Amino acid sequence: MKEQIIEILQDLTGSEEVAKNLDVNLFDTGLLDSMATVQLLLELQSQCNIDVPVSEFERSEWETPNKIIAKVESLQA
Amino acid sequence: MDIIQQIDKWAEMTPDRVVYDYLGDTKTYKELKEYSDKIAQYLVGLNLQKKAPILVYGGQTFEMIATFLAIVKAGHSYIPVDSESPKERIMQIMEISQPVACIAIESFPLVLKEDVPLISKQMLEGILESEPSVFDVKQYQIKGDDVFYIIFTSGTTGMPKGVQISVNNLQSFLSWMKSDFGIVAGKTFLAQAAYSFDLSVMSIYPALTQGGRLAALPKKVTDNFKELFECLPRMELNIWVSTPSFMDICLLDKNFNEEEYPELTHFLFCGEELTKKTAQQLHERFSKASIYNTYGPTEATVAVSQVEVNETILKNYSRLPIGLAKEDTELIVVDENLDVLPNNNAGELLIIGPSVSKGYLNNPEKTANAFVKFQGKFAYRTGDLAEINDEGQLLYHGRVDFQVKLHGFRIELEEVDHHLGQVSLIKQATCAPKYDVNHKVSQIVAYVVAKENDYPSDFSLTKAIKEELTTLMMPYMIPQKFVYVDSLPLTNNGKVDRKKILHEVNC
Repeated sequence: MKEQIIEILQDLTGSEEVAKNLDVNLFDTGLLDSMATVQLLLELQSQCNIDVPVSEFERSEWETPNKIIAKVESLQA
Repeated sequence: MDIIQQIDKWAEMTPDRVVYDYLGDTKTYKELKEYSDKIAQYLVGLNLQKKAPILVYGGQTFEMIATFLAIVKAGHSYIPVDSESPKERIMQIMEISQPVACIAIESFPLVLKEDVPLISKQMLEGILESEPSVFDVKQYQIKGDDVFYIIFTSGTTGMPKGVQISVNNLQSFLSWMKSDFGIVAGKTFLAQAAYSFDLSVMSIYPALTQGGRLAALPKKVTDNFKELFECLPRMELNIWVSTPSFMDICLLDKNFNEEEYPELTHFLFCGEELTKKTAQQLHERFSKASIYNTYGPTEATVAVSQVEVNETILKNYSRLPIGLAKEDTELIVVDENLDVLPNNNAGELLIIGPSVSKGYLNNPEKTANAFVKFQGKFAYRTGDLAEINDEGQLLYHGRVDFQVKLHGFRIELEEVDHHLGQVSLIKQATCAPKYDVNHKVSQIVAYVVAKENDYPSDFSLTKAIKEELTTLMMPYMIPQKFVYVDSLPLTNNGKVDRKKILHEVNC
């Protein structure tokens, strides 16, 4: 699961950093903008079989690869 | 009736009707008239060169709209500049347009020449405290072929182009908006696009001239989805105006449907291709609403063709058409010699009609290239590839040159290259769009030959390059992805082979 998420992030951002540093802030560093965030959510929904309640999407809770992994795990549970 | 009189009429007929809603902070038509009259009076008092442009800098607030109106009432055109714009771009716009004054609703990032007055928000507040007096608008206002607004788009050499839209251009657009979309007076329009982007004109003036309300949705809200979906239901929208990309964000929320938004009856899309997937999904959520796909360049006043995307259109087309021309306009498909092509043949699209701009401000060369005489008529060459089918529907096939649309923003790849080349860490660079399954551009990818540097990783180098780029170009133009190479592929002529990179990016 973790690898899959990192792969999605690498593809969207075109950066290896998301694999090397799981605590990198994706928004502050400009790695993800709001349209890329949409693509991320769509990928997570289709590949990880989760339902992301976008109306509860608080940006600060999704700002690093680690936080995203934790979120996806909690949504799968 | 004149656009300005149509708007002022509502202040007399329905003074207490709300015209602007900024996240719950509302203003009435009476306040709009008072504000714009007072500022117009003040501007007239400055004795500025008649009809010359005035730059307005700010976000999506009531003061911006009221200032636009004040400027045209005082006999000038306005240049809207969004407060998200980088300094470099504002400097270029200033240099090209030579405004006779700047009105800064947000704090202005540049120092002006001594003879150009800067009117700050504090000064505006001072002017507004004065006692109301009667402003004889008809004596000063712009009319006919006078320029109403100037919107800057991207340019190939890195210099933006200022499209001049006249009162008559805008009037032609508004008549069509009133007649062809089944929108009645007094409706609430979504104002999501920045006011420096001409999609915003599709909300602003149809709402103001028809006694409607503008409900602003600023970027700081749309960036945080949680806030966005708390905000949207409270806006009580009737008429949706946005890019298809923004709709894709909204469709992520399962509650975005007609049960939760029963008053939302019209969806108008412009600025980029509306994919069948997005339209289909929206139609399933809002089966009773009317969904319109529209098409047009800034140079022909926002949009010139429309089609209602209904069951039949969805059934018959795999890629949605962009519709039929508005009544006063001719859309003609030609080959490279400007000879008319028969139906079902793709060629460059020409636009002839009263909403076509007179050209780019202070740029006769670019104007002469894009605005031509065609069979004795004044025509705009769109640079868009299109064909007309036997039903008269216009089908869009992309660009004839290196221009792409990303999330509704027009981006010239050569301009991106130009800016990349100015970055101190870059030796040589070019870029290419990455397309998704719906033929839509999803990313701009830069291929870069970097200068020698001490950055420990590609990531930190990219971060540094992106930081430098933010001072040079609009944020939406900055490539999302950076690929580092030792050299760029070249064509036989020794030019950078963009096609090869395009292929690599999309394989």
